[in-house]
Amino acid sequence: MPRDLRGETMMAQESASGWRQRPGFYAGMMLGSFGAIAGLRLSGAINAPTGFILMAAAMLWMVPLVRTGMDRQKRCGMLSPAIVRYNRRFMLASFGYMLGLGIAVWLNERFDLAGAVAFAVALLPVVPTLAMVWTMARYLVEEDDEYLRHRSMIANLVGLGAVLSVGCFYGFLETFELVPHVPGWWAVPVWAIGMGAGQGWMALRKKDRAEG
Amino acid sequence: MKNRLKVLRAERDWTQSDLAERLAISRQSVNAIETGKYDPSLPLAFRIAALFAMPIEEIFVPEN
Repeated sequence: MPRDLRGETMMAQESASGWRQRPGFYAGMMLGSFGAIAGLRLSGAINAPTGFILMAAAMLWMVPLVRTGMDRQKRCGMLSPAIVRYNRRFMLASFGYMLGLGIAVWLNERFDLAGAVAFAVALLPVVPTLAMVWTMARYLVEEDDEYLRHRSMIANLVGLGAVLSVGCFYGFLETFELVPHVPGWWAVPVWAIGMGAGQGWMALRKKDRAEG
Repeated sequence: MKNRLKVLRAERDWTQSDLAERLAISRQSVNAIETGKYDPSLPLAFRIAALFAMPIEEIFVPEN
């Protein structure tokens, strides 16, 4: 098939199954699933083990999410071998986190944990979280493309800024007894949200400049 | 920093992907440098200069 026709065929296939090519669709499905499961659990419609199994199943949305995300990055000329390794490692760490968290919560609900055993159980979700941090550090080391590395570092700094700002602000609110206590592990989701916001801000800046 | 990357690329009839491949960087990087969104490091600037067989100051010039 001539190159031009092949390209048109690919575009036609992409538009025919457009929603299946969009990472946002799978991110929405995953978040929607998490929300629905949390709602069922909070309303008492399902018990904790069922909730955990459903949450673990909902994590499988991450597979097409990462695949379509990498397809998009490839089309935008932003896919490097380091990003492929980063995505693979991060996905494994996320599954490990889900598994570790589920087992830790299950053990904590059924047994009176204390001392060294409680410490070991607490490590179950912590070790995969540390693997995520290691994955991000490795990405910065392994990325040969200096612009992609620069973008990642900016996103990491925005994430760090979010942790420091939210942590300090919430900490003082808690000191003055205006808000309830929040566990320290919330630092990780706040950091991830900050990183995502940083990436989004850079993408918007790029769009402005392209339009300008 | 302003640069003549887009002009030099057009003179050779190269796409951003062609230039990216020759420099072993991402197309996004070429785009960011061309649009002035990102100033390359000195080693990358030397590689760009070597590719076009020109001194760096003939490709990159200060804004003022």
